[in-house]
Amino acid sequence: MLQDNHATEIAQILERYPQASKRAAVMPLLFLAQREVGFISRDAINEIAGLLDLDPTDVGSLIGYYTLFYDKPGGKYRIQICTDLPCALRGAEKFSHEVCEMLNIQVGETTEDGFFTLEEVMCLAACDRAPLFQVQGKGGIQYHENMTLESTTAFIESIREQDANE
Amino acid sequence: MSSSQVKLMIDGNTLEAPRGMLLVDAALRAGIDVPVFCYHPKMEPVGMCRMCLVEIGRPSRDRQSGEFLLDENDQPIINFGPNLETACTTRIDEGWVVYINSERALEGQKQIVEFLLTSHPLDCPVCDKGGECPLQDLTMLHGPGISRFSFHDKMNSLKRVALGELIILDRERCIQCARCIRFQEEIVDDPVIEFSNRGRSLEIVTFSEPGFDSYFSGNTTDICPVGALTTSDFRFGSRPWELNAAASICPHCPVGCNIILNTRREVKMGGSEIVKRVLPRQNEMINEIWICDKGRFAYSYAMDSERLSQPMIRVGGELEETSWDNALKVAAEGLKQSGANLLGLAGGRASNEDLYNFKQLIQGLDGVSMLNDFMAGGKQNQQIGLGPGSNLGDLGVGDAIVVIASDLLEEAPIWWLRVKQAAERGAKLIVANARFTKLEKYSAHTVRYSFGDAPETVLGMLHYVTGDSSLNKYAKVDGQEESARIIKEATNAVLFMGSEGSDSESSKRLVQACGSLLAATEHIGKANNGLIPVWLKNNTQGAWDMGLTPPEKHLAEEFRDRTALYLMACDPFGDNPEMLQELPQDAFVIVQELFHTPSVDRADVVFPAQSFIERDGTLTSGERVVQLFYPAVSPHGESLPDWKILARIGALLGVAMESTSAAGVMNRIAEDIEDYGEIHYRELMNREDQWPPVGGKQIYFGGTAYENSQGIGIRLSSRAQRGEAYEPVWKESPKKPKGEGIRIVPIVKLYDQGTTVLPSLLLAQRIGQPELVIGQEDADRLLLQNGAQVEVQWNGTAHQFPVAIDNDIPEGIVLLPRNRQLGLEMPMACNLTPVKPTSKEKGE
Repeated sequence: MLQDNHATEIAQILERYPQASKRAAVMPLLFLAQREVGFISRDAINEIAGLLDLDPTDVGSLIGYYTLFYDKPGGKYRIQICTDLPCALRGAEKFSHEVCEMLNIQVGETTEDGFFTLEEVMCLAACDRAPLFQVQGKGGIQYHENMTLESTTAFIESIREQDANE
Repeated sequence: MSSSQVKLMIDGNTLEAPRGMLLVDAALRAGIDVPVFCYHPKMEPVGMCRMCLVEIGRPSRDRQSGEFLLDENDQPIINFGPNLETACTTRIDEGWVVYINSERALEGQKQIVEFLLTSHPLDCPVCDKGGECPLQDLTMLHGPGISRFSFHDKMNSLKRVALGELIILDRERCIQCARCIRFQEEIVDDPVIEFSNRGRSLEIVTFSEPGFDSYFSGNTTDICPVGALTTSDFRFGSRPWELNAAASICPHCPVGCNIILNTRREVKMGGSEIVKRVLPRQNEMINEIWICDKGRFAYSYAMDSERLSQPMIRVGGELEETSWDNALKVAAEGLKQSGANLLGLAGGRASNEDLYNFKQLIQGLDGVSMLNDFMAGGKQNQQIGLGPGSNLGDLGVGDAIVVIASDLLEEAPIWWLRVKQAAERGAKLIVANARFTKLEKYSAHTVRYSFGDAPETVLGMLHYVTGDSSLNKYAKVDGQEESARIIKEATNAVLFMGSEGSDSESSKRLVQACGSLLAATEHIGKANNGLIPVWLKNNTQGAWDMGLTPPEKHLAEEFRDRTALYLMACDPFGDNPEMLQELPQDAFVIVQELFHTPSVDRADVVFPAQSFIERDGTLTSGERVVQLFYPAVSPHGESLPDWKILARIGALLGVAMESTSAAGVMNRIAEDIEDYGEIHYRELMNREDQWPPVGGKQIYFGGTAYENSQGIGIRLSSRAQRGEAYEPVWKESPKKPKGEGIRIVPIVKLYDQGTTVLPSLLLAQRIGQPELVIGQEDADRLLLQNGAQVEVQWNGTAHQFPVAIDNDIPEGIVLLPRNRQLGLEMPMACNLTPVKPTSKEKGE
């Protein structure tokens, strides 16, 4: 239950919106739910629906609409490489293959240690700095631009190290 | 020409229509079709499907004066935009020139069909919608013979997604018009289906538990413009063109929704005609184009194999099948010998013709006839009910609606829907009940009283209206003063009165109080004003009108010392097995029934009656609209209509009754009963043009609801409307007995375990097991948790139920859904004993 671990934060989110339009809090609450375990579970949908007096269908249907919400578990970090046309022209497709090889997974899969899921996504609005990816995980969403296989490997090592130290 | 009317030209025809009307509606009213998919006249336009693309030209105006600019021939200069526009979202204005069937517009419409067909499977030959499908029709009209899109890019999706057990979705066929989603959200406020994902992956989903479980879900299949949504009873059941259509009236509640019974000969049934599905029949005054799922899916009881098919007589203690002649002879002999103290008891399920003949027969035999019910209000409905010209759909700003002692959603779903919509149009809704009901969500004012205090609550409102100081002792609940003000100031006011928490005595006081309130605020004797009793049975009002009223005493007392009992369309011994002990052992019992009920087990003679699908007759709704239903299939076994059985017994006993036809009985009723003086079958068949057009050629516009060509019925006038004075009376409340412990209150659930619902396999999952609803305080005191079993004793009988805790229920009250075999017609004192020690107790 989100309420068990995040009661204060939930109260703060709800406070931001007038009582009459409290359904507006659905997005921040979905962010919170996803931050918790990396995806939005059926239980979380029901809990949020209960908090906002919505039907679970109203909450659940949003997850499919927004590409950054997930309804299935994945890695702790989701690496999302843009492979749209301008990025592809700057080598994003090749870059994606190399990163897959390095992580020993296919696009859409999760590494054996459960750390990384790799996805190819549509435009991230930074075509001039391709190849690039965004990482969704602990600490929200971060952009990593003008990437090479080397810099990506270093980034991945650093994350693994950081996690081991925690 | 008034300024609210504008003149425009569509495809060369000049027409006038109200300013601001949607172009698609204006065109259709002028007889010009604009093809649509997502647009539906009962819902807000969204312009999602783009099917209704048309060319719109608007006159140029002078920037200074606002006058039309004229060309050299003194004609307004018309500007056509570069793009086609959607007729369903565009509101008309003066001087427009619109082309719907121009080459450019048709090209646009063609392209949209071609686009929709890129991913729509052309499985029309096996699709249930084939033959009544807007997409199929428009494809034939506009569709290209060959697609330019690659077959390999076609979306493939799931062909069978059970959104619930009643509604099945074919994702491939969905063209994403959102009619179903908007219906659930806008019209019935039960948003249990939604779109998820986007673009080509857009799909309808539900995250609700248990899925698409809504009292109105079946209507989405009517308005679905393709075969994406189908009902599980009709899925792969038949082709639409094989079906016959018989007009009927839904027999499940006092709303009287107009329906169509689609029938077909069925090999599985030995070639006999059976009902394949139930569809709404348009009546904008009653049910518009909607019906609830109970009406749509609970029809199968009429075709149940357990139905009685042969007359039976008791021989040596056992019931034996026999011929009609013999059974009638035995019945007549029995009545002759033991009819000295005869009681006739009829149910509110029977038609007016049955009830009239019943009254005639029992009266002719010097017996006493009664209605098997306890709720009062039939007389007041005759006096101050809604009169001709009334339509709940007309109520809006400035009007008031009061709903008291009723959970309308459970008792009469279509009334709930129309009251909700009236509230959304601006009518002030007052919901008065002892507990929360879903209707409160739309109310301007909520009055919450203690269980059993409904009459006093209304008398308190009356105090604020009249200033009568003798009533100020009743003015003690929040909201009475404000409610009184709203009712008093309203242009029109309609009051729905139910029976929740009432017994026969308090029901009488409640209806008197309600009548007095309506009279004091001058809301009687005119259209759209007056009383509507929310009866527990569909034709209870008809029974009152035919002269049958509930027993004055408790029914058990009425049974004592009777020498003979005649039961029609009711099952008192099934409702309450304890009643059997009250009837003398040697009393002669005749039963007319559909099923082998517990009352049949006590009968000496049993007559198999016909159900509503096999015969004709009339029903009188709670709004006092008399409506005609027609036979749809051939009779089950040797069953006969109730009125005919009665007439045949009457003939043997010298009681003259109409025996030729139901229409003939109605002619007798018209001669005999003042209010029905104008009612004849021919007039009941009258039709009226209604908006929106549905069915037939306009199937794409309003859906597959049937057009009403078989009769919209007649609304009876109230005595007040005919100028008769109404004398308001009310009684002081008796002192309440104190300290009687817990009271058990019967409530209504839409899917009850009644004779006409249980046989429906489709609804089996929805009916569920009855739960005892209990408040938190009582649950804590008895150490009960949700789901724990509890034994409840009342009236010397014991029953076990799981409990459901509801914070809203006050201490000292428990609720139980009405049900057969319980003997719980009215609230009564009860004892609760937990069945198993709860874990809490064990821990102590």
